[in-house]
Amino acid sequence: MAHTTPAGPAVSAGPAPAGRSKRRAGTGRRWLEIAVFAGPALIVFVTFVIVPVILAAVYSFFNWNGLTPLERFIGFDNYIEAFNDPDFLQAIGNNFTIVIASILIQGPLAIAAALLLNRKLRGRAFIRAAIFVPYVLAEVIAGLSWNLLLSPNGFVNALLEMVGLEEWAQPWLANPDIALWVMFWILTWKYLGFAILIMLAGLQGVPEELHEAAAIDGAGWWKAQWYVTLPLLGPTIRIWVFLSIIGSLQLFDMVWVTTRGGPLNATNTMAVYMIVNGQTRPGYGSAIAVILFLISLTVALVYQRLAMRRDLGGAITRGVR
Amino acid sequence: MNRLTSRGLIAGLAASALALGLVGCSPAPAPAPTDSAAPTTAAPEQVTLRFWHNATAEPLKGIWDKASRDFEASHPGVTIESTGYQNEELQRTLIPQALQAGGDAAPDVFMVWPGGEVRAQAEAGYLKDLTAPAADTIAKFGGVAKPWEVDGKQYALPFTFGITGIWYNKDLFTQAGIASTPKTLTELADAVTKLKAIDVAPIAVGAKDKWPAGHWWYQFALNTCSVQTLQTAIPALNFDDPCWIEAGTKLQEWMATEPFQEGFLATSAQQGADSSAGMVANGKAAMEFMGAWNSGQIGSLTPDGKVPAFLGWFPFPSIPGTAGDPTITMGGGDGFGVYKDAPDVAVEFAQYLVSDEVQAAFAAAGSGIPANPAAASSLTDENLKAIAAGLAGSSYVQLWLDSALGPEFGNPLNDAIVNLMGGKGTPEDIVKALKDTAAKL
Amino acid sequence: MAATTTAAPAVAKRRINWSSPLIYAVAYLVVVVSVVPVLYVWLNGFRSNADINANPAGWPNPWYFQNYLTVLGSDRFWGSLASSIIVAVGTTLGVAVLGIMAAFVIAKYDFRGRQGLYAVFAAGLMFPLTVASLPLNLLIRNLGLHGSFLGVIIPQIAFALPTTIIILVPFLRAIPDELEEAAAIDGASRIGFFWRILLPLSMPGLITVGVLAFIGSWNAYLLPLLIMAAGGMPQNLWTLPLGVTQFATQYSQDTGAVLAYTSLAMLPALLFFIAAEKRIVGGLTGAVKG
Repeated sequence: MAHTTPAGPAVSAGPAPAGRSKRRAGTGRRWLEIAVFAGPALIVFVTFVIVPVILAAVYSFFNWNGLTPLERFIGFDNYIEAFNDPDFLQAIGNNFTIVIASILIQGPLAIAAALLLNRKLRGRAFIRAAIFVPYVLAEVIAGLSWNLLLSPNGFVNALLEMVGLEEWAQPWLANPDIALWVMFWILTWKYLGFAILIMLAGLQGVPEELHEAAAIDGAGWWKAQWYVTLPLLGPTIRIWVFLSIIGSLQLFDMVWVTTRGGPLNATNTMAVYMIVNGQTRPGYGSAIAVILFLISLTVALVYQRLAMRRDLGGAITRGVR
Repeated sequence: MNRLTSRGLIAGLAASALALGLVGCSPAPAPAPTDSAAPTTAAPEQVTLRFWHNATAEPLKGIWDKASRDFEASHPGVTIESTGYQNEELQRTLIPQALQAGGDAAPDVFMVWPGGEVRAQAEAGYLKDLTAPAADTIAKFGGVAKPWEVDGKQYALPFTFGITGIWYNKDLFTQAGIASTPKTLTELADAVTKLKAIDVAPIAVGAKDKWPAGHWWYQFALNTCSVQTLQTAIPALNFDDPCWIEAGTKLQEWMATEPFQEGFLATSAQQGADSSAGMVANGKAAMEFMGAWNSGQIGSLTPDGKVPAFLGWFPFPSIPGTAGDPTITMGGGDGFGVYKDAPDVAVEFAQYLVSDEVQAAFAAAGSGIPANPAAASSLTDENLKAIAAGLAGSSYVQLWLDSALGPEFGNPLNDAIVNLMGGKGTPEDIVKALKDTAAKL
Repeated sequence: MAATTTAAPAVAKRRINWSSPLIYAVAYLVVVVSVVPVLYVWLNGFRSNADINANPAGWPNPWYFQNYLTVLGSDRFWGSLASSIIVAVGTTLGVAVLGIMAAFVIAKYDFRGRQGLYAVFAAGLMFPLTVASLPLNLLIRNLGLHGSFLGVIIPQIAFALPTTIIILVPFLRAIPDELEEAAAIDGASRIGFFWRILLPLSMPGLITVGVLAFIGSWNAYLLPLLIMAAGGMPQNLWTLPLGVTQFATQYSQDTGAVLAYTSLAMLPALLFFIAAEKRIVGGLTGAVKG
């Protein structure tokens, strides 16, 4: 689920629609229309997303092994336990490491790639398609492939030996000192395509005349991008950063299928920790889920306040003009 | 919020969510009456039994499928849906969630682990008491059925029970100049040195799955603690005896000899050529400390799907300097339990699964040690015969500690053990994990 | 990006001339990194196990077709494929229909609670499915949807709704109100406007959310595991990601066949995405640009 949600940090639905809705006759009929149109989505969403999440929140206050009835209410004990577990604190640390590394490394890479792919380039369609391949791949399949590639007797080590770098060969996913960075490499490989997709979409909104104007002024291509395109790409970048943060905080699938959080918790994330512990202690796992939600929400709100203030009520919610 | 059942809570919340359906446009599937008695009892001539096990590969998968077909043939009207799931998914996700949901969602006959595992399910009231209906089987099985007994009642029937020992590659041992199988830990360390000299991984361990690493510490604890300590400490969940810390110290000393394959922390136990079983199967590792099923597991990982001729087995060596008695062994097994609301024919089916006939096929296929004593003679595999003999000669068989202690212990205990083996934890950390978990129950 | 003035091409050309080889080098490096792991899987599907084990980094020698033929000849592959298609198409249609209806209200109606409605959906972004898997599973069982296609499809729709609505709302808002005025003058009702004007105009956005929902469904693992695999659906009807892991467990000694199965399982989503890629970029533009 991580990283796959192209959407805006929208606490605001934007300004009220201008127009004639207020003078339309019959508020009764208007409410009926609203109910008929929004009702089905709301019912499905509340039933299958909100209700389970509320239930998870309820479980989090119980000492519960998933088999017995919910009857041992323990208040905030699960929460206290979580913050006293060094493994969980390490998982939080790993999540934030990935958050920061993603922004600092994947962001610039994605912008550069999108700028390249947005210009006339022989074989552009092919290049674009190739770059999106990892993003479209199922996590299960990607994890299976990387496990094969990175195993001690796998392709990567064999390749290193072939080019005379055998001293670099090592069990990539088994070394706790580098596993997190190997994981980050896999994540970058997997999700860079999505970042490029977002950036490309943003670039469609940058008027071509601006490039031309810059070109006529004699500015170099990269210079033109830096001074002209990049500032206009601002809202897009800020949205990608938001999505990347949420995705990195909730990272689960790729880690689960590749390392299960190991070795020695080196690649553990909050969501993996939640699943591992929630298997035999759903009450405790639910407390982790709530913590994960609160951290995501806090980070999202802080980020919106700091970075996206000028986009609020506009940018992602106003739409193209 | 006393005795709030999650099901009741869900029904309430779901109802209020559905009540939001302002007009008839909601998909509104009426909540199924899950508390009603199983409808199957109304029409005894047409019964479908859902049978969940962990056999995803041959030959075991075929044995359960054939047993299902044979049972259908002898019981007209009974249909059996036999499904094999990946072991950990089955025990940790699918069965607990299905039991919690209850009603038709729950499987009728399913695999049950012994010790604390069966206790947790039985105490929550999900398992049928088989003491009376399966009295004959239980009497015949004797002591081997005990691990599935809770407070004097039998809640599942074992189909396999064996002791954990070391599987090894005879050819590699010969090649390395190891004359006889190690009897003491010192000899095992010698073998490790010799095997390193011929450039194979001496011992494979699937530490990514955690429990295979855990078994090493369990075995050390078996040697450092007396039987009496084990028998009192486990039910009482009291880990104050210094022998528990000593087990970790011994394991730490053992780790210093670097006996395991490179990158063992990221090796899984059973899947693919790079797993610990796969490494033994393709000759990249010489030994693996594993349960009785490993013969079949390794066989399934060879190109021709047969148990390799080079495969041998010996019991875990004694550990010098500990109180341990070599006839005290560690082992465990798998059983079949019946869901509380399952039709009576499900009990019959569970009994059929451990009957002489099916158990003989199980033994003949080399999948493991049959729990049914009548099937022991059907064992053809030399290694399994050796295990059966080792089991018979054991003065005391300790259940794997994670099974014995119960579901809540597995994760924290095995995590702490893997940490120690990876050089990140101490012997005290393992005992602390045990004590902390016990305190939370 | 073709320049239309006469001066610009000359300037641009001069720039490209010196930087061009570098740009191509970078572009193709990225391509290689992206594709090599996938090519590895595809190519090794054409190798026998002995060949793979002997030389993990080798080229197929000789080319060995049995792995792919075995997979293509098995009922379970086709069953899984059909099942994946049913679930993905169902999810996609459901998300598109429910999503556009809700987005229409949020974008074009002014009413108390509009912001709240939007915030409720947007908050869904913070809930990964894993968080709520146990209660969700119990709920689905209690609704009697367990072990059915609908049991997977409906929750998937629910979890895809936040993304969908957040992409579609700005898209719909961008459709000028004047069109609605014009429609009203022609006597069309609000609903008529929705059907005849808004729906056709929002096709690019719908395609984008549709493709994203399709791929999400195609790759989903946890929900199909809990609902289909544990729900008693026959193994032949488990979706492809489940099929891949089941196949990998069952034939784990047979690396070549596992890789062939894996290759074939990824193909449909890949082709679908590549075919729709241009439209996706177009459809996202509204959501990411001010």
